[in-house]
Amino acid sequence: MSYTVSFERMNELIQSLQSNYKIFAPVRFEKRGRYSDTDMVRYANISCVEEIVHDEKSDFSPKEVVFPVTQAILYFTESEFMESRVHDKKILIFLRSCDIHGIRRLDNMFLRNGNVADFYYKRLREKVKFVLMECHDGWDTCFCVSMGSNETSDYSMAVRFHDDSLEIDVKDEEFEPMFGKEAQSDFTPEFVKQNAITVKIPDIRDKDTLHEVYNLPLWQSYNSRCQSCGACNAVCITCSCFTTTDVVYSENGRMGERRRVWASCQHEDFTAMAGGHRFRTTPGERLRFRALHKVYDYRQRFKTEQMCVGCGRCDDRCPEFISFSAMINRLSEEVDKLNEVKSK
Amino acid sequence: MNHDIDIKEIRKNCFRQSKVKGEFMLQMRVPGGIVAAKHLSMVQHIAETWGNGTFHIGTRQTFSLPGIKYESIDAVNAYIKDYIREIEVDTCGVDMDVNDAGYPTIGARNIVACIGNSHCIKANIDTTALARKLESIIFPSHYHIKISIAGCPNDCAKAHFTDFGIIGVTKTEYDYDRCIGCGKCVEACAHHATRVLSMEQAKVVKDECCCVGCGECVLACPTGAWSRVPTKFYRVMIGGRTGKKSPRMGKMFLNFVTEDVIIGIMKNWEKFSAEVLEHKPVYLHGGHLIDRAGYHKFKEMILDGVTLNPEAMVAQRIFWAETEYRSNINVLPVATK
Repeated sequence: MSYTVSFERMNELIQSLQSNYKIFAPVRFEKRGRYSDTDMVRYANISCVEEIVHDEKSDFSPKEVVFPVTQAILYFTESEFMESRVHDKKILIFLRSCDIHGIRRLDNMFLRNGNVADFYYKRLREKVKFVLMECHDGWDTCFCVSMGSNETSDYSMAVRFHDDSLEIDVKDEEFEPMFGKEAQSDFTPEFVKQNAITVKIPDIRDKDTLHEVYNLPLWQSYNSRCQSCGACNAVCITCSCFTTTDVVYSENGRMGERRRVWASCQHEDFTAMAGGHRFRTTPGERLRFRALHKVYDYRQRFKTEQMCVGCGRCDDRCPEFISFSAMINRLSEEVDKLNEVKSK
Repeated sequence: MNHDIDIKEIRKNCFRQSKVKGEFMLQMRVPGGIVAAKHLSMVQHIAETWGNGTFHIGTRQTFSLPGIKYESIDAVNAYIKDYIREIEVDTCGVDMDVNDAGYPTIGARNIVACIGNSHCIKANIDTTALARKLESIIFPSHYHIKISIAGCPNDCAKAHFTDFGIIGVTKTEYDYDRCIGCGKCVEACAHHATRVLSMEQAKVVKDECCCVGCGECVLACPTGAWSRVPTKFYRVMIGGRTGKKSPRMGKMFLNFVTEDVIIGIMKNWEKFSAEVLEHKPVYLHGGHLIDRAGYHKFKEMILDGVTLNPEAMVAQRIFWAETEYRSNINVLPVATK
């Protein structure tokens, strides 16, 4: 069923939901952006609908709700340890179609990658229900249509924002009773059908081609551009790498915690081994690794779609104006050339 | 043509004497060094009608128009009336009469500023907005003062070499949980700034004392763990100057003060100058005025009635470091003033 709900009424509903749910949505942090007098939009707890930034793309993805930047795994003393805990509420996330697809990619990485489901991801992920935020035209860096993540039916509720009201499509029985008194509407979410940019996934057909791809000169062209800052990883909905570290408390060095923290494959020390060897020593090699993981390796492993969902946040956030979508298209062109040579 | 011209009066009107007898260079104020591009057609018109066809981008960011004949000054002044009104009164809110007589004084010099945070990725403040606010405080005063405003401690505006150098600084905040311990900010601080960041237990710690407030850590941070607090802060350098005798770099007077403090001290400048100069607005660098009064007297007068914000830092004394082109330049015979 679909309903039209005023902001005022929605805020009452949000208030009642809060007894069981933590509600996350993109929120504006004024003047907290990278540059002076720019804002930061990222996911945070909300308590009213006006806090939700629905007409801009968030700088950061909602992945941090289920995969926090810093997460305690366990606390230890000399002889004992205690597992970390999470809050006892369920989680509602306002997010877009691409991000819903993105969290499904994270599910593969954390829950179905090998034989063991990641306990720390699972315990948060199980709490989550999605509220789809409808996109109108998308933004100039979006390429969800090319990645097939522009549409979804995987949500509990879907919303369209108006000036002071919402239209809501409620699919989840749990929430249906809350809306019993609201005015019904014929709303169903619409989806972006076309983006300003089209991205072609490289058609790498065999291992030989893959090896040739490793040595393409295009990667080297990024050596002087990429600063290896890792911002693209931080904003990516599908980047799931982390580093596990033990820290000891300064007041008592025999106590401490084991925690995991996001890691970036663009950082110089990502592949550092004991003894100092590093597998990828140049920015170009690291970008190659990232690009292939997003459009090739993941698909090889899970036999599904590519990893990238085309949210374009990496392009938005890159301080050096490196466009991931342009990189993938450049790669596809090169692969097409290689395939053409082979077919002759 | 023979002339009988009081060049001091002409200079006060912002026309500078030329080596060519009877010619002058008009210096038009451009507060903060930025105006609408449409005014360039006015500059072109003046240069081609009354000047020598060129204009100089003045060292203090003025539109400087050389080769204007003494006889043309009245016509030029009448022509620039609209510009003066638009820039000084409408844009900056200066309290002045605008008439056919041109600029009323050259005393308070044009306020120099870098482009600031309307464009620059390094800037911490809107230098243009501040320049325009300060213009309404210092102009039109016959008392000389030079102000330069830099958007960040890179100081491209050379705030270190002017009477009052204002530098945009930022207080940064660190979100421990958002930090991934990558050390990019530590590298950036060591490379660009004062090496106040270091790694500890896979997170970052900061030596607060020596942070210059540049914001490089914010720029470098991939996760937004570092951010600027929304309040704008400023550093004030004083007493910098160029010159033949004893050029010197300015020294830090205030650090991490808010805009209210900047406005407050600039409002006290004229009174301070008048007292030190016995109410004769002669041309003397601000640094010399501070030297005459002594730093402690200067500090007392310039901070009179100013409420310092809690974060503010104030220099307890100042150790000047002059470039003395003649040794012991400050040690003079008793008879010399």
